[in-house]
Amino acid sequence: MNFPSLATLIEITLRTLAICIPALVISLAIGLPIGIAIGRRLFSGRVAVVSLINTGMGAPPVVVGLLVYFALARNGPFGDLSWLYSGQAMILAQVMIALPLVVGITLAAVGSLDEDWELQVRSLGVPKRWRLWLLVREIRLGLLAAVITALGGILSEVGAVWMVGGNLEGETRVLTTAILMYTQMGELEIAFGLAAILVGLMLVLAGLLTAVQQSGRT
Amino acid sequence: MNDATILSARNLRVELRSKRGSFVLTVDELDLCAREALVILGPNGSGKSTLMRAMAGLERPSAGSVTSVATGPVTMVFQRPAPLAGSVAYNIRVVFLGKNLAGAELRDRIGEALERFKIDHLAEHRAVTLSGGELRRLALARAFALRPAVLLLDEPFAGLDADGQAALSLDLRRAISDTRVAVAMVTHDLRRAMLIADRIAVLIDGRLAQIGRRDAVLEQPSTPEIARVVGMTNLVQGVVIDERRDDLALVEVDAEHRVAARTDCAPGTRVWIGIRPEHLKLDIGRGAVDPIGKGIVREVVSDGVSVTVQVDWAGAELRTHLMAGRGLARTLRAGVSVSLSASPKHVHLIPVTPAI
Repeated sequence: MNFPSLATLIEITLRTLAICIPALVISLAIGLPIGIAIGRRLFSGRVAVVSLINTGMGAPPVVVGLLVYFALARNGPFGDLSWLYSGQAMILAQVMIALPLVVGITLAAVGSLDEDWELQVRSLGVPKRWRLWLLVREIRLGLLAAVITALGGILSEVGAVWMVGGNLEGETRVLTTAILMYTQMGELEIAFGLAAILVGLMLVLAGLLTAVQQSGRT
Repeated sequence: MNDATILSARNLRVELRSKRGSFVLTVDELDLCAREALVILGPNGSGKSTLMRAMAGLERPSAGSVTSVATGPVTMVFQRPAPLAGSVAYNIRVVFLGKNLAGAELRDRIGEALERFKIDHLAEHRAVTLSGGELRRLALARAFALRPAVLLLDEPFAGLDADGQAALSLDLRRAISDTRVAVAMVTHDLRRAMLIADRIAVLIDGRLAQIGRRDAVLEQPSTPEIARVVGMTNLVQGVVIDERRDDLALVEVDAEHRVAARTDCAPGTRVWIGIRPEHLKLDIGRGAVDPIGKGIVREVVSDGVSVTVQVDWAGAELRTHLMAGRGLARTLRAGVSVSLSASPKHVHLIPVTPAI
């Protein structure tokens, strides 16, 4: 059995965070405004858009990975970026997986508000920027659920990141791809060790977010 | 628009479309004057709430306009107030967001609003845990905290029990009187409406059917539909005959049922006879002055305070109210023959419009 060194373990863990955190931040930065905008407005074609988002929420990550692979492949539409088998490609794949989750949960949180909610706040003469702040405050429990779900989806994802990242040692190997690799090599003790780190990471991050969520209950 | 007008709608048209169909509200002219209370009545689906929202600037008209020259805010209290996550005091504080108010002045304004609607003891409670009545008080406190020039109220008493309605309507009346805010209020409850109404507007099928001083609309509705909306529920058709009694015209329903009334209608004119329940008198003897004929009591229902009596009169069902536990109310039973009377000044005639 060839145990990876502590330095390697730390490196893989830090790389996992270095890829997952930007992916989470980008998903939230794009997904929250889209979810709020779709949740607040009635427009023709809304049902189709929401159906598309719901489909995206359940899309198999490996299919998302395949699409990102196709887009970034040398002959693909974005081949010139030369992102394939890089951290950028992995971030992109994770954003594509997390985005529908963030949008879907956010718009459901906005939809759970009273139909007249915004009109009522408007009628109180609250300026527009403050209305948006009030809306975010009102749905913050739902938004934190979106963050936790997206984080879970990103941290646990393996198929797509393997396809577009390639699990290259020292470059694109993250906890999930390393677990898969060691399992395939029959090195189950190492795989379990890495799995424990991954679960620990998820527990700490999700625990922190849940603590924030529950402390905000009023 | 006169000098006192602070909110006016002109050639207003609001179109709403939903899965249940479309609805159009059209109001040619509607003014709300400073310090007046306008009550808007109408059946379900007549467009009352839509009119409120349009007047509050929350519904975009497809034509026409709503113009405000009020010096203070125009605000609206909704039929189902939405509490914000947070304390009752926080729910008041949000109205001052972006309004440059802080410190003692902010605390005073919040305290004043809470006290005005007697919810100061709930200041630190979570708003989402309030009862229906408390939530309505919070919504009104929130609106009054703004010190509005115009207050639009959509069914402020809906869903409350009788005691809750009575208490809230008195507090609301006091608040309106203290602040001299102009009020437009939509309600189904005629009794509560009468507590504050200076003028009444009636909406039917998305159109402003009648507007005028309170007593004029109550006593002289211009159509049978309006009469029903304003509580003139006793409506029977008759014909003005070429015979008079004490300078009054006589309207005949049948040979045994005639009603004296003041009218300019020519003999032969077919009219609706409208008598408000509170103006229809019962007697088990010959009937006092102004008799209109005999009827048979069909039903007597008491709620402990008042007794509602249904009487079959000339084939129509008339209704009147008596004080529970007093006089006739104690002995009246279904099947009893009674004499009915109505003062001519309380008999309103509406010419029957031929069907087109």
